[in-house]
Amino acid sequence: MAQDANHLAESGPRWGLIVDLDRCTGCQACVVACHAENNVPVAGEKQAAYGRWLHWIIIQRFWEGEYPNVKARFMPLMCQQCGEAPCEPVCPVYATYHNPEGLNAQIYNRCIGTRFCGNACPYKVRTFNWFRPEFSEPLTEQLNPDVTVRSRGIMEKCTFCIQRIRRAQLDARAQGREPADGEIQPACVQTCPPGALIFGDLNDPDSRASQLARSHRAFRLLEELGTDPAAIYLKGGETNV
Amino acid sequence: MTKSISRRQFFRIAGGTAAATGISPKLRRILSEPFVRPPEDVLPGRATWYASTCRQCPAGCGIIVRVINGRAKKIEGNPLHPLNRGKLCARGQAGLQVLYNPDRLRNAVRQTGGRGSRQFEPLYWDAALDLLAEKIRALSNPGRLAVLAGLMPDHLYRLLSLLLESLGAAPPVIFDLHSALEGRAAAARSSEVFFGAAELPVYDVGRSDVVFSFGANFLETWMSPVAQSVAYGNMRQGAFGGRGLLVQFEPRLSATAASADQWIPLRPGTEGFVALALGRIIVEERLGHVGSHRPHAALYQDVDVTEMAAASRVPIESLRRLARLFADAEHPVAIPGGSLAGQQNGAASMLAVHALNHVVAQVGRVGGVFLSSPGPTAMLRQTARVDSFAQVQDLIERMKAGEVDLLLAVGGNPVFELPATAGFAAAIERVPYVVSFGSFVDETAVRADLILPEHTYLESWGYQVPEPGADRPAVSGQQPVVRSLYDTQASADVLLGLASRLGGRPSEALPWPDEISFLEETVRDLHGSSLGAYDADTPAGFFALWRQYGGWWSERELPREPVVAEAVIQPLPIVAPQFVGDERTYPFHLHPYPSVALSDGRGANLPWLQETPDPMTTARWSTWVELNPEVARSLGIGDDDIVRVISPHGELEAPVVVYPGIHPDVVAIPVGQGHTDYGRFARRRGSNPLDLVAPVAAADGGALAWGATRVRLEVTGRRQTLARLESLDGAGRESLG
Repeated sequence: MAQDANHLAESGPRWGLIVDLDRCTGCQACVVACHAENNVPVAGEKQAAYGRWLHWIIIQRFWEGEYPNVKARFMPLMCQQCGEAPCEPVCPVYATYHNPEGLNAQIYNRCIGTRFCGNACPYKVRTFNWFRPEFSEPLTEQLNPDVTVRSRGIMEKCTFCIQRIRRAQLDARAQGREPADGEIQPACVQTCPPGALIFGDLNDPDSRASQLARSHRAFRLLEELGTDPAAIYLKGGETNV
Repeated sequence: MTKSISRRQFFRIAGGTAAATGISPKLRRILSEPFVRPPEDVLPGRATWYASTCRQCPAGCGIIVRVINGRAKKIEGNPLHPLNRGKLCARGQAGLQVLYNPDRLRNAVRQTGGRGSRQFEPLYWDAALDLLAEKIRALSNPGRLAVLAGLMPDHLYRLLSLLLESLGAAPPVIFDLHSALEGRAAAARSSEVFFGAAELPVYDVGRSDVVFSFGANFLETWMSPVAQSVAYGNMRQGAFGGRGLLVQFEPRLSATAASADQWIPLRPGTEGFVALALGRIIVEERLGHVGSHRPHAALYQDVDVTEMAAASRVPIESLRRLARLFADAEHPVAIPGGSLAGQQNGAASMLAVHALNHVVAQVGRVGGVFLSSPGPTAMLRQTARVDSFAQVQDLIERMKAGEVDLLLAVGGNPVFELPATAGFAAAIERVPYVVSFGSFVDETAVRADLILPEHTYLESWGYQVPEPGADRPAVSGQQPVVRSLYDTQASADVLLGLASRLGGRPSEALPWPDEISFLEETVRDLHGSSLGAYDADTPAGFFALWRQYGGWWSERELPREPVVAEAVIQPLPIVAPQFVGDERTYPFHLHPYPSVALSDGRGANLPWLQETPDPMTTARWSTWVELNPEVARSLGIGDDDIVRVISPHGELEAPVVVYPGIHPDVVAIPVGQGHTDYGRFARRRGSNPLDLVAPVAAADGGALAWGATRVRLEVTGRRQTLARLESLDGAGRESLG
């Protein structure tokens, strides 16, 4: 892991997400959980047909081979929370910001909608609100009060559910302790039925995420770009029948 | 927060609640108070979590719901629940949109402008119940009352059965498309033949090292998908031995097959042949390590491997390799799935798959097949059984013949879910009075005279013994997490109110003043069990814990080994599949399959689920037709070209998805879209493949054979851009669009 001025005190956490491709079944539970947790609006059929979406996490599907020896593979994709994030230096108003815990935070009230960050992102995980989000009444009741509803002209993306991180940290602090490993779970991690997503502190060598990050199956997406992602993938198993 | 209730109204409602406290015990106990006077330990703005049960499918997963200031904000899996262990699927996550759906009915209504007019006149509940009681009293004989229902929670089924019995009416006819697609009835029946118990088996996938799934999409919608997905994760990377292996046998590569190590494409209806061939090879070549195969020889005496290979078009070498793989495994398991049950030879195919578990002695062994142990939950267990399609057809015939004067539609949406040519929509016109209990105006409710909208599941009480169950006795408990939004009523309370109005035998059979007193009394049966994860000194304390835990379950794992029935040790039947439609006129097999997001269409009114991409095609908001690349090439069409799919019973048009993972003889269409009603998000979107399906049942009096229809294709020359996540131009995905 690159360690430079961007990375503050060693003692603080660096949040990482492990994606075990051998467990992922492409079931989309994470996608809906994220919508519910983060007040992500829906694009609607017309916009969807233009190829637009607002999901913060998507599951890519890759075909391999041809019939009858064909396989499909799933790969969940969300903001990689890069250590050297290409989206950060291009923002003219410092709306994309690197927080002390290694997250690429998006400060919605600073954002003026240049979409430079979205263009710079090699993972294409940022989505832009071209329209005012619509929640037909009383669907507004479902909105999570911990998360801002983004208005038109704002860029948004996965935050690793920072509100859930803060909630767990505050609860732990009130009890005079540090959050335990596994206590902090973004919505996608919490719901993932086969347990393909694991969240934790990569600066804590004993966390389950750190242990898995050292697996021989571990790799990171487009690592050669030097983005230093905090999302670490474990490659799917290969057993020949 | 809310725009529909002003601050002043909010206080008024709260005041009303307080006033009601002294008056009616029913009101006092059922209303959840808004937090105007929060309890001392609850801070306004701070979340409270309520445990309940998901009702988005019949699995019965435990949920916990985050409630802030009296509003439900997030649904998560109940980490204590032994079935889903804190996890939840996409449909479960979307439950908030059932509760806060803008198209919910807000009170009891009468359709005044005639059926289908959509002119609804609100009714007071007392008037509505009086009206229904009057209709029941006016019946010339109780046989003229019919109830058609979808799968429902156990408490409601029990009350409904009691009421119908006391009236002398026939028990409810149970049908829903979700159950048909997962082959619930066929699975229970094959289990009865094989294990002597008409219960759904539990497959120990989590501790298995080789899983052969015959058309079971157990990671998507089949049976208990969340529990099975948790098990799948453990099978792949769990602590138990090495990495497990999954082989999927089915006509179309489902999302479950995408997770498999190998997909074996089969012609529809030949799954059983493959299972028979595998079994025969294992027995003949004495494979595996179970000792003597002599007792199994009789099972396969009529099976010829060469014939089976020819019928299924799976090469003998592959069969031999697979047989060895299965038999040599430590803990193999074979799962008979829903796509077997959709064929006319479904029962024989399912037996053939069960026999595989038997010949490798994996019945009741780690990583094999189990039944769920009822323990003390046996007395609560009164699970609705899915009826055979013949019974549904019989009801339709009776309706057509004018033998039904009053039809109650409780859950389910038969107009949408039955094949169009089964004639239900026409038959319902012949019934003088139709009552629907749905929360939404769906295709069935719009044909009703009276709609008594029930609470959504997040506003309801209830319980359900999950089936297939967990590894231990368990009951999922349901409780309201928010105060009911509108003037709706629990269907259980409607039945109780009806019974007390009718007096006589019904009121004796259903003596409870309200749903919750019935529930308290029933739950008391579990109080004092030594198995429980908790217990209390008093029944009231027990009921409080029941609500906190969201049900009751055993603390320890309690496996139940099935016993293979004597009757099984005889030659397995070999039954060829039969199809509706001539092979030359209709060269393709129609393969309808449940959508991961919309299931059988019940999720189509939730925008989150409409927006959720199909895992395989990444398409959203629509219907499509999947074709093998070779077939598409021979027709000269590609992605997004609209084709007309024609069966002997109907036709539909939809854009093509060229799909690399489908047998060339098969045309697959997802179920779920094509609603003509059911709210703004569902209406006028895509097409319903049930319009094509022939109304035939499996030969032995089974469920709807939804996979037994042949179709042909016509190119229309038109195009429609399907809304999909994946870009087709190869230029990469666009998120800034």
